[in-house]
Amino acid sequence: MLHYIIKRLLLMIPTLFGVAVLIFLLLRVVPGDVVEARYMSQGSQFTSQDLMNIERKKLGLDQPLWKQFTSWMGGVLRLDFGLSMWTGSPITEEIKLRFALSLQLAVMATVVATLLAIPLGILAAVKQDTWIDYAVRVFSIAGLAMPSFWLGILMILVMLIVFKWLPPMVFTPFWVDPWENLAQLIWPALAVGYRYSAVATRMMRSAMLEVLREDYIRTARAKGLWLKLILTRHAMKNAMLPVLTVIGLEFAFLMGGLVVTEQVFNLNGLGMLFVEAISQRDYTLTQALVLIVAAVFIFVNFATDIAYAWLDPRIRYR
Amino acid sequence: MKQLARVLAFAVAAVLSLPGLVQAQRNGGELVFPVPSEPPSYDGHREETFGLIHPIAPFYNTLLRVDPNDKGGTKPYPSIAESWKESDGGRTYTFKIRSGVKFHDGSDLTARDVKASYDKIIFPAPGVGSTRKGQYAVVEKIEAPDRSTVVFRLKQPSGSFIASLLSPYNFIYKADILAKDPNWYEKNIMGSGPFTFVEHVKGSHVVGKKNANYWDKGKPYLDGFRAIFIRSSAAQVAAVRGERAHIQFRGFTPADRDNLKSALGNKITVQESAWDCILLVAINHEQKPFDDKRVRRALTLALDRHQASESLSKIAIVKSVAGVQVPGTPFATPPGELNKLAGYWTDINKSRAEARRLLKEAGVPEGFQFTFKNRGIPMPYEPLGVWMIDQWRQVGLNVKQEVIEPAAYFGVIRKGDYQAAMDFQCGYIVEPDLDMYKFLSADRNPANYGRYKDPVLDALYDKQSGETNVEKRKQIIRQFEKRLLDEEAHYLMTLQWHRIIPHSSKVKGWTVTPSHYLNNTLDTVWLEQ
Repeated sequence: MLHYIIKRLLLMIPTLFGVAVLIFLLLRVVPGDVVEARYMSQGSQFTSQDLMNIERKKLGLDQPLWKQFTSWMGGVLRLDFGLSMWTGSPITEEIKLRFALSLQLAVMATVVATLLAIPLGILAAVKQDTWIDYAVRVFSIAGLAMPSFWLGILMILVMLIVFKWLPPMVFTPFWVDPWENLAQLIWPALAVGYRYSAVATRMMRSAMLEVLREDYIRTARAKGLWLKLILTRHAMKNAMLPVLTVIGLEFAFLMGGLVVTEQVFNLNGLGMLFVEAISQRDYTLTQALVLIVAAVFIFVNFATDIAYAWLDPRIRYR
Repeated sequence: MKQLARVLAFAVAAVLSLPGLVQAQRNGGELVFPVPSEPPSYDGHREETFGLIHPIAPFYNTLLRVDPNDKGGTKPYPSIAESWKESDGGRTYTFKIRSGVKFHDGSDLTARDVKASYDKIIFPAPGVGSTRKGQYAVVEKIEAPDRSTVVFRLKQPSGSFIASLLSPYNFIYKADILAKDPNWYEKNIMGSGPFTFVEHVKGSHVVGKKNANYWDKGKPYLDGFRAIFIRSSAAQVAAVRGERAHIQFRGFTPADRDNLKSALGNKITVQESAWDCILLVAINHEQKPFDDKRVRRALTLALDRHQASESLSKIAIVKSVAGVQVPGTPFATPPGELNKLAGYWTDINKSRAEARRLLKEAGVPEGFQFTFKNRGIPMPYEPLGVWMIDQWRQVGLNVKQEVIEPAAYFGVIRKGDYQAAMDFQCGYIVEPDLDMYKFLSADRNPANYGRYKDPVLDALYDKQSGETNVEKRKQIIRQFEKRLLDEEAHYLMTLQWHRIIPHSSKVKGWTVTPSHYLNNTLDTVWLEQ
């Protein structure tokens, strides 16, 4: 197992290097650069070519591509992502607060999704083809059909029109003011968690149905074992494997993919930062964000694979 | 006698009932406002976005400012300079700098700081970028003979020089800091404005608190302000509606205004103004058949601007039919005269018949197809783009729209890779020199995307720029406008933008102007409760 873990950790290096090369080149294929985005998007009449040249030189954009790449990679190896081309601030500073918000939201949405999906999925499987099963399926299909940002807009409208109240517009870290923090993040967590739970509920239900038809479950029932015990001790662990994959992938997606939901709730998260960095042609920030999100995906997949072995002792990695 | 007393009592009651006249300014409170974009850096001399002005301007003073009560947004008003005079036939301007002005670090602000700030803008050191250098090409040199005097010497008289000093971007920086590092202000804030900097949380907000040592005694009235960065317009409206914010200084759509008004009633006050922003149609003079002025004239003649003003103003942030100046401002062409220009006639049938005739004469076949490039921004690019395509179809042109991502847009247009394309300009102040510079020949202004050269137009521009007599200047501007929009139809004007600011009725002491770059120092603003 240790050998496998080391191998997987080492494999992360070429994967991340490949991502770095790809994003570096792709960004430069897209027309325009940060200087053009800065001075021409405002329709300036007085912007001269001299000014654009000065700015490009300042940012190192006048250097050949290989030099820009090696200089960036040199920094990344020292965990120094450099400065944002748009703001001139250190990228770690740009990302720090947004990362904290996105991470907390991803964790909260995952908790909401897990708390909904696992009991509902099990219930629907156990009560297959009863009204309970139908109700759970309608609930989960509705979750799949409704985009989370749309649900978010509905939530905001209800809060505004019915309760004359709006969640806070500015992020307050949990350790500074837990109430203010939750008052802002609970709503997007519910909106995102519901859609997320819909996928997991359906997965849980079908996996559970499959497991419940296995011989060892039938044997346990024949032996007169409590249904609760059969479900929790014998069935659930095996049924959790595909659900865990879904939860892992969704969690990684939430770290950078909640662009519209972040806009709706005015959340200062990684998704919005991503979109802004791309539209401003902020190469250094976009590169750093892609690397971070790629690292999160790789790590979550790795953690999921390790969890497989814990859930199902038959799985052994070499 | 009794009757006189009654009349007096009535008059007093009438005066007392006028809002704003008798209400004493109240001290205290924090003004909260959403800002749709975030400042890239803190350096006003470098940036060109309202995203910098709205949260950062309250920390600074400028040499002059626009009168905060002037709805037209053009009247010069003292700021750091308490007075100024013109001499030497309009070639010298001498400013008396106010005494007792202190930077937030406690040091005195003197003429030396003003000179250093303007030197950075007009004569930047090698390697230092200045966005507005070209705007002050008329300035020969700046002198600071003593602590309280600054002298600007011009190469020739200029009708717009004072207006150019009203720029809200020209923050006065500390000379000693600039001498050590001219780029220091990109990442730091240290001014002399009515508010001092507290914090900027990236992507979230900027906070300022009252400058207790502000030179304008009694101001500011607010304890502080909080500028929250909110990109989504729906979230900005929700913030005002949910009373989490008092005002958004850029502007909302007519639908947002109506929704806020119906939801909050008297709690919302709406201020509106013509907006010094306009979408234009750039026509590529290097592509056939657009090199033919008959075709360009046909394009403008096809547009029913008067009808669009009524219909589009209900759904988009556009309203007035305009020439090269914002309607209602000092140099604007009166409507009666404007309506004589091609494309501004009130009889649209006659106008379109003329357009068809010109197209036929130029050999453009019925159903001629061309591509109109538009910028991927919903408001107001999308409704205006759809409207124009429909208008051109009515004179037999078949137009395809191609929408380009905003960040790449001007790169594409600048290279001339288009036939007709949406262009725009937005000014910080309504001033002919600034508003008409866009239309100079391409070799004088690379931001002229029409790619034409017109020495006659250039000469008219220079002539009006040097003319200090207002009436004579107006006449030259009319000639410029006729040549640009009618005779040569180099560029097409759509409709002037319309600025709509629905804000909390608690907000007092703020006046809307045609520019969303003005009136953001917040020293005159106060909250009623």
